Amino acid sequence: MPTLLFEIGCEELPARAVYEAEAQLPRLCEQHLGVLPDRVFVGPRRLAVLVGGIEEQTEDRWLKGPPLALREQAAAGFAKRHGVSAEDLEERDGFLGVTVAAESLSNVLPGRLDSILRGLGFGKTMRWDDSGLRFPRPVRWTCARLDGGSVEGYGTTTRGHRFTSGELDLPSAEAYAETLRGADVEPDAAERERIIREGLDALGQWRDPLGKLREVVHLVERPLVLEGVFDERFLQLPPRVVETAMQSHQRYFPLGGNRFGLVANGGDPDTVRAGNVNVLEGRLDDATFTFERDVQAGIEELAGRLGSIVYFAGAGSFADKTARLEGLADRLGGGDASMEAARLGKADQSAELVREFPELEGHIGAEYARLAGFPEAVCSAIAEQYLPDSAGGPLPSTDPGRVLAAADRIDALTVSFSLGHKPSGSRDPFGLRRAAIGLCRLATEGGLTIPRELLPGEVAEFVEERFEGLLGDVPVEFVRAARTASVPDLGSVARLARALHALPDEQLAPIHTAYIRAGRLGEKEKAAAKLDPELLTDEAEREVSQALTQIEPEITGAIEAGDFDVAVEAGALLGPLLDRFFEEVLVMAEDPAVRRNRLRLLLDVRDTIGLLGDLSQIPR
Amino acid sequence: MISALQRYWADRGCVVMQPYHTELGAGTFNPATFLRCLGPEPWRTVYVEPVIRPRDGRYGENPYRFQHYFQLQVILKPAPEDILDQYFGSLEEIGIDTKRHDVRLVEDDWEGPTLGAWGLGWEVWVDGMEVTQFTYFQQLGGLELDVVSGEITYGLERLAMFLQGKRSAWELEWAPGFTWADVYRENERQWSAYNFEAAPVDVLTRRFAEHEEECAALIARRLTLPAYDQVLKASHAFNLLDARGAISATERASYIGRVRDLARRVAEGYLADAPV
Repeated sequence: MPTLLFEIGCEELPARAVYEAEAQLPRLCEQHLGVLPDRVFVGPRRLAVLVGGIEEQTEDRWLKGPPLALREQAAAGFAKRHGVSAEDLEERDGFLGVTVAAESLSNVLPGRLDSILRGLGFGKTMRWDDSGLRFPRPVRWTCARLDGGSVEGYGTTTRGHRFTSGELDLPSAEAYAETLRGADVEPDAAERERIIREGLDALGQWRDPLGKLREVVHLVERPLVLEGVFDERFLQLPPRVVETAMQSHQRYFPLGGNRFGLVANGGDPDTVRAGNVNVLEGRLDDATFTFERDVQAGIEELAGRLGSIVYFAGAGSFADKTARLEGLADRLGGGDASMEAARLGKADQSAELVREFPELEGHIGAEYARLAGFPEAVCSAIAEQYLPDSAGGPLPSTDPGRVLAAADRIDALTVSFSLGHKPSGSRDPFGLRRAAIGLCRLATEGGLTIPRELLPGEVAEFVEERFEGLLGDVPVEFVRAARTASVPDLGSVARLARALHALPDEQLAPIHTAYIRAGRLGEKEKAAAKLDPELLTDEAEREVSQALTQIEPEITGAIEAGDFDVAVEAGALLGPLLDRFFEEVLVMAEDPAVRRNRLRLLLDVRDTIGLLGDLSQIPR
Repeated sequence: MISALQRYWADRGCVVMQPYHTELGAGTFNPATFLRCLGPEPWRTVYVEPVIRPRDGRYGENPYRFQHYFQLQVILKPAPEDILDQYFGSLEEIGIDTKRHDVRLVEDDWEGPTLGAWGLGWEVWVDGMEVTQFTYFQQLGGLELDVVSGEITYGLERLAMFLQGKRSAWELEWAPGFTWADVYRENERQWSAYNFEAAPVDVLTRRFAEHEEECAALIARRLTLPAYDQVLKASHAFNLLDARGAISATERASYIGRVRDLARRVAEGYLADAPV
């Protein structure tokens, strides 16, 4: 069985598109050629597959059409779709259909390769000529070899390295990788990655904080790893600024100190190294210029300029935002360091360096605060205020950092909601879901007490809904129940939900049932305004009443102390008493006074259990 | 360098044009690009464009940021199959040996929100230095393009810095005995002061509205080319207002939308009136 090589030659593809193609090629080969490829070669200028074991003949295929009963309605359409007339349709097992005769591979291959090419889907595509084909970048050649033979409509030449080689003959499918390696191209992405890693390892402790390696693998066809050294005077810049200047645009890898690794696509090593050092030093010069101007102004002066920078249309300037953050930090129980961090937290929004490196907001402010001699607690809080920056990302490591991070999110959510920018469906341009999840995590994992009263109604609802997916195996209904309890802070909602969920079912069931029954019965008729102990005639109801007077303060106290397991267990003590009550006591007694008193008792039961949340949210 | 590039592209059938007569934020705004790339007619041109970006001024104090610099713009419509090879040939022409240097195409997609335009392409790196922006236009004035043009925009200062081995544009030799700083530094200082401090906000706000109005009136009279100049002037007034900090984030979007709307109407008018 022959081996096929099929190559799609492109102008330089974005790395993202290369990964998209790499993921789809095996499935497309299987779909159109009947087998998975032996090898997939991808890179900036070519997407190729090496496929062995393709059948040389297709088999006769029976295409099943409409059932015989629908001949009138459907036969003509089916026949037309398959290019035969309706009379030619055959019958088999009660269905109409058509037999497609076996064909040789060389006949069907051109169409199949075209299907593979057109079957690739990409996030972003373009047109470049009038062929109608859309691809991430122009396709400039295609090459196909079936063993040593050609495929009609496809070339038999490939291209080597863009600058050191040219168009070259591909003698056979199997010779693909070897031919390209002879023309300064390493077609195998994994091998390119290995060469790059090996080259960087040889230079020392390299790092890739912004994750650029994945992209660099597809920015080169012949990786040449070089070491660059920049002038030591740039080490006075904050290390993050230096790293970002290296990584974000230039895709260099920091090696520590003033050394960096770079990956070129060829060229004379000394020339390429010198040029890259020059470019990096130019960028660092620019950053130094900006940094020095900011430092000369100082963080206080930068903070003073915030009044002229709009935070959000309708929500004032960054100076207004700062005033709100200070208020929130205070109400979140922040100490001196938190208050100072809130006052200076947004100062770097007026720094020129943040305009250059927006991704370093916070870090730059922290650096300027350090240079101005502020305590480390203040500086690290400023640096950490944007954490967590992803759903599972790390939280701020200090108390002031958590206070500022929570204040920032509460303000962003409050402002956005009040201006009508609520997330809807998948639209969340201001990242409010992430902000809300961050706030929940600050309350739970971060242990920060975030009073629920700091969140306006809609915001509180939006934030607390996030718990529904955040508490591991706690079902959403327990979260919903806990949210209705009058617990004072965000973290308590989560802890109460967990405590309710932790209660064994045989303990939960009786109070759950009693809560719902008590609520339902208690509202049937007007209850007495206040319980009259004199009217409690039955033993069972006296027991419940007595228990309530003990358990109610116990639950309240435990909730206040934040001891939700104790609160829930105290509530559960009512269970057996209530079981007996419903068994022995006729609530709807003949005597209206007794009846109304019993209804009152039930409402008291409901309210006491209700301290633990609206248990009717939990389905049983 | 400039004349070598112009000659190179003139030899490949490009009309050598001169800079446009009003302030532009990029060579793309020149009607020789924006309007000529609409519709089906072939077009090839090369020209130098002084680019005016009020917000980028740094009073001539920062050797890497200017509110005025130069682009050399090439348009090939339709984009020929060997457009990249032609481009690399132009680098060789000005003395960049593509075998000795590391020349690379790094994804960089272009979007011009005020022109309702976008395209896909790259920034071209030579040993890590970005010297050219390369774009295949897909849309201009909000209109999908039937014929795709290739736009090659050389950053002339960057390219000259690379060729002369200079670290800052200030040190560029403009002619023997004259550096870039001799020629343009004072210009940067004064224009930065104008852009950031002196440009009159009320007058510019009024002018923007006047340009907008005049543009609409000219479109109605089917004077598309003069109408397009009003788009450019409105766009420049917007850039100045932006530099003056007179535009809030939400207003910004609305200004951009207004310019884009004008650009779209001009583009439609241009196509409607094009000789068939």
